[in-house]
Amino acid sequence: MVLTADEQALETRHLGFTISPHEECGVEEAVRIVEQQGGEVTVLTLGPPEAEEQIRETLAIGADRGILLATDGEEWDPEATAAAIVEQARDYNLIIFGNESADSGNYQVGIRVAYALGRPVAIGLKGLTVADGRVRCEQEVSGGRDIYDLPLPAVVSVLEGINLPRYPSVPAKLRARQKPVETITPQPDEARLEKVRLVVPAGQGKQAEILGEGAGAAPAVVNVMRDLGVA
Amino acid sequence: MRLGKPVERSDDVPKRIRNEAEIVLGQRKLFQRFLPGLVHAAIFWGFLVLFPTILIAMIGAVDKDATLPWLGHQGWFALMVDVFAVLVLCGVIAAFVIRKVQRPARFEGSHLGEADLILALIAGIVTTLLLWHASRIALGMNEWPASWSPVSDELSGLFADNGTTEVLERVFVWAHVLIILTFLAYLPHSKHLHIATAAINVYFGRTGPGGRIEPLRFDVPEEEMRFGAGTVPDLTWKQMFDTFSCTECGRCQDVCPAFATGKELSPKLLIMALRDQVFEEGPALVRSAEGFEPQPLVPNAVTDNVVWDCVTCGACVRECPVSIEHVDHIIDLRRHLVMMDARFPSESEQMLRDVERASNPWGKPQTERADWAEELGVRVLEPGDPAPEVLYWVGCAASFDERARTAAQSTAKLLKAAGVDFAILGPRESCTGDPARRMGNEYLFQAHAEQNVATLNDAGVTKIVASCPHCFNTLGNEYSDFGGRYEVVHHSELLAELVRDGRLATSAGEQPITYHDSCYLARHNDVIADPREIVEAVGKPVEMERSGKRTFCCGAGGAHMWMEERAGLINEKRAAEAAATGAETLAVACPFCTVMLDDGVRANGDELRVADVSTLLAERLPPEATGTT
Amino acid sequence: MTVLVLVEPDGGAVDELSLQALALARELGEPLEALLVGPGGAEAAGGLGAHGVVRAHVADDERLGAYAPGAWARCVTDLAATLEPSAIVAPGSNRGNEVLAHVGARLGLPFAANCTHVQPGAPLELTRVRWGGSLLEEARLHGSPALLSSAPHMVAAGTVNGADAPQVDRFAPALDDADLAVRVSEHVEAVTSGISLAEAKVVVSGGRGVGSAEGFAILEELAEQLNAAVGCSRVVTSAGWRPHTDQVGQTGTKVSPDLYIACGISGATQHIAGCKGAKKILAINSDAEAPILMSADYAVIGDLTEIVPAITAELRKAQAS
Repeated sequence: MVLTADEQALETRHLGFTISPHEECGVEEAVRIVEQQGGEVTVLTLGPPEAEEQIRETLAIGADRGILLATDGEEWDPEATAAAIVEQARDYNLIIFGNESADSGNYQVGIRVAYALGRPVAIGLKGLTVADGRVRCEQEVSGGRDIYDLPLPAVVSVLEGINLPRYPSVPAKLRARQKPVETITPQPDEARLEKVRLVVPAGQGKQAEILGEGAGAAPAVVNVMRDLGVA
Repeated sequence: MRLGKPVERSDDVPKRIRNEAEIVLGQRKLFQRFLPGLVHAAIFWGFLVLFPTILIAMIGAVDKDATLPWLGHQGWFALMVDVFAVLVLCGVIAAFVIRKVQRPARFEGSHLGEADLILALIAGIVTTLLLWHASRIALGMNEWPASWSPVSDELSGLFADNGTTEVLERVFVWAHVLIILTFLAYLPHSKHLHIATAAINVYFGRTGPGGRIEPLRFDVPEEEMRFGAGTVPDLTWKQMFDTFSCTECGRCQDVCPAFATGKELSPKLLIMALRDQVFEEGPALVRSAEGFEPQPLVPNAVTDNVVWDCVTCGACVRECPVSIEHVDHIIDLRRHLVMMDARFPSESEQMLRDVERASNPWGKPQTERADWAEELGVRVLEPGDPAPEVLYWVGCAASFDERARTAAQSTAKLLKAAGVDFAILGPRESCTGDPARRMGNEYLFQAHAEQNVATLNDAGVTKIVASCPHCFNTLGNEYSDFGGRYEVVHHSELLAELVRDGRLATSAGEQPITYHDSCYLARHNDVIADPREIVEAVGKPVEMERSGKRTFCCGAGGAHMWMEERAGLINEKRAAEAAATGAETLAVACPFCTVMLDDGVRANGDELRVADVSTLLAERLPPEATGTT
Repeated sequence: MTVLVLVEPDGGAVDELSLQALALARELGEPLEALLVGPGGAEAAGGLGAHGVVRAHVADDERLGAYAPGAWARCVTDLAATLEPSAIVAPGSNRGNEVLAHVGARLGLPFAANCTHVQPGAPLELTRVRWGGSLLEEARLHGSPALLSSAPHMVAAGTVNGADAPQVDRFAPALDDADLAVRVSEHVEAVTSGISLAEAKVVVSGGRGVGSAEGFAILEELAEQLNAAVGCSRVVTSAGWRPHTDQVGQTGTKVSPDLYIACGISGATQHIAGCKGAKKILAINSDAEAPILMSADYAVIGDLTEIVPAITAELRKAQAS
């Protein structure tokens, strides 16, 4: 049987043209948990067939199997994505998301999946410790860290920086080619957050804008700082 | 030797024979340093000539009236023996003077005691030989005409024709034979083993281009998944032979840029350390001793720093008189560390990920790859387009690094002005994989090589011009292993040709310009004259002392462009050499050299303009010739 | 139609991002009502009149002392059931996005995070941010109430003139155990003092041009004014002016602040590798040809010993007023 009753961590991400750093850290975290406590890691992605390559990269990091929810390349909105993932994720003890998929910044998928499965969820985590059927979650806030203590099964989403993902050895990459990857083709519902188009904001030039010369440039500098929200 | 992995070294026999003749017989590499070369040549040629005298002595020791038939009677041979015996003696004395009085730095770390003993034994051999001959002449026992051996003849005056001399004659011949036997017995236990191994090592040395690295195969079953050199049995037989051939002369150490800037790496010490581990573990491995596990070479023989300090400039390989290929060792050690252990400087990890994911080590989007060519009217080759006469391979550095871009822009302007039919691949050009390969990530390199070869072959490309010497080297020398055979020239070669043919107008200049040879151009690929032609066409050339094949690296090779150096800086050292010539401009022909030397000049606080030869030439173009569209 | 805004208390007032969320909400219509949850809510409510809020609701329950996203979401959904707003807006902070995501999951509604513009209508037309700001998405939101958060620092806060202080109502949300299941159980104080280089929002960095260890004093003053971390290039650590932990670069720390200020740094390739993750780079250099200008967004040319203190002084002036 592919899914065992042991602790298992499922790594989820969507639209994987390249693994986003948050998700890569999530895979590394899952692999570490399983290395310490036993179980298996499954990686799931929602994306076009080319996303299988990213699954293979995570298999090289140490995941055991992959699931590809194949789309035709069009983006799915967060609700549809969550619904598709829920179908596959029921039997896992711990579901790990990367906090925001680097391209669509939607934040929500993990939380929606958690509600659908009736599980507790904590997001934006920089630390995870699994022990005795519970997971201790650490979230960075100004001045320190907030701690959440959740019972398993649970859903979490992690931030880049929770760990340093290992660089896979070549034998691991070669072995990853042999690990199983299942392809499923789910159907999305009507998008309720409907993308109309993408726009590149103006003013992305490459020349340094000279704000002035000498001490007289200070007011201009402070204006820029205010615009950036740092002063 | 049986332990070693296989490597193909029996191709191109004529070249190998020529190498034997030039390097071994002709002592060509030893003469790269003239005086020590002369000393060694005297001793070496002396030994060749004196070889038959060993047999003569052994015969004569056993039977005092016998000698080698015919040869033992030849006057001309006796003359040669005399002359060379003296030369050897002079050589030995000179060697002692060099070692004891001059004390060159290259001997730091070598086993000098062994050398002293060997030299003393050699002195003993030739001295006893001459004295034996002298005593035989005194006794009238010489089989050769005494007048043909003037030295021995003179020496014979020391001996009277009497019983003492008879005894001495026996003493000398037996002493001679015994010293020779001692010498032979000592040989395998000392670095003097090179007598037996050097000539063979030279024969099996590389015949192909210096910049090419032997590829690995990855389609192997699980049990055979070992890549690179992790332990002694992973070394190829040639690599093991390299370690047996090292004489600890230190010429490699002397020219190594890493060693010169205070780093741990010394190519000499690297080979010696590997040799020590081979000798230590060899016997147990050959016996397949029960439960014997060979120890990892890193960090037991050499530390990680030693492996990573290398810039693959090849100066060591060029110097080595016995054809040791240090760079091959480093690359194989790196291959194991990177591909098996994932153990490498953390700052390089980002570069490897960028090459893998973004297809270029700068990690910038490939869509921006042709941005440098905006407004220059450069043709970007789309799939299905007819192939251009020449494909301009721009390289990642010139595409993405602001300082290196000017070279690409200048080259494009020049090619247009000369009416060359050329095109670039734009976003379809991905990293040649050189930095990955030089770091030891052969797997990543091959993925890129295969992809690029497919792109180039599909496009029908036959001729390529590259501005980056690393791209030039990889495309021209290494891609043929992956099905990519193209005529590849460096932009300085093509531009020099265009100037010669009159297709590019230029005007002479008075400015003193010093040209820095890139390692991958001059040393690995013999491109030395063409960039200089360009410099001469636009200014007054001033040479640095270390130029041509003796050039000193800018410090970016071996993937060091993406590593930060921990000790004194190679680029600053080289920049200082350039500034010391008094030139106003430092001409280069490589984007890495451009950036590294510009950083070096700024760090030193000098006023030296660093510019690519293409930029210097483009500045000289009459305005109407550059007509941009 | 009522627009409800979740507002985060900060000390006795309301935080900057919440004010930006209020500005975004004003585009959607009126009346504008605010919800404050957690400690400090009642005190902060008073000042909201100047931002257009006519009524502020303060959730009252002793169990709301520690943050629990489910409980905060419950406050929103309970209030929304009574008010029936056309839209619910939150600041695009971590907490704001988390709470509205919970609300969206509970109510089965779509949620558009990090919006820069909205246009009322059915469906709602909006512009939101992707790739940390390098890309914008125009989208339509099909759901009622519309759930939105405002993209941090991309909407100007602004004020409304001549408005009165809002009416303040307290209410008790019907919290149950499930709402409080995920709750901050502990808070661990940061061990290191000072701001870490890797996490600072602003980094003030110095190179060879600073001249000496003492020369860094003016950079430290500027950093203090900006609540920034101080970094340096490899040349500086080699010279012993600053410790290696301050080094930004390939072998030092890779930083990704909102603003990286490079003072007297020429811009060696290996240094740029360490700071190219910054959203914006300001170079202060006496050499207009220094390589760093090719990677910088802004530059001031001149003597940094004059420029840096001038900026610090200007900042002090601006903060005083």
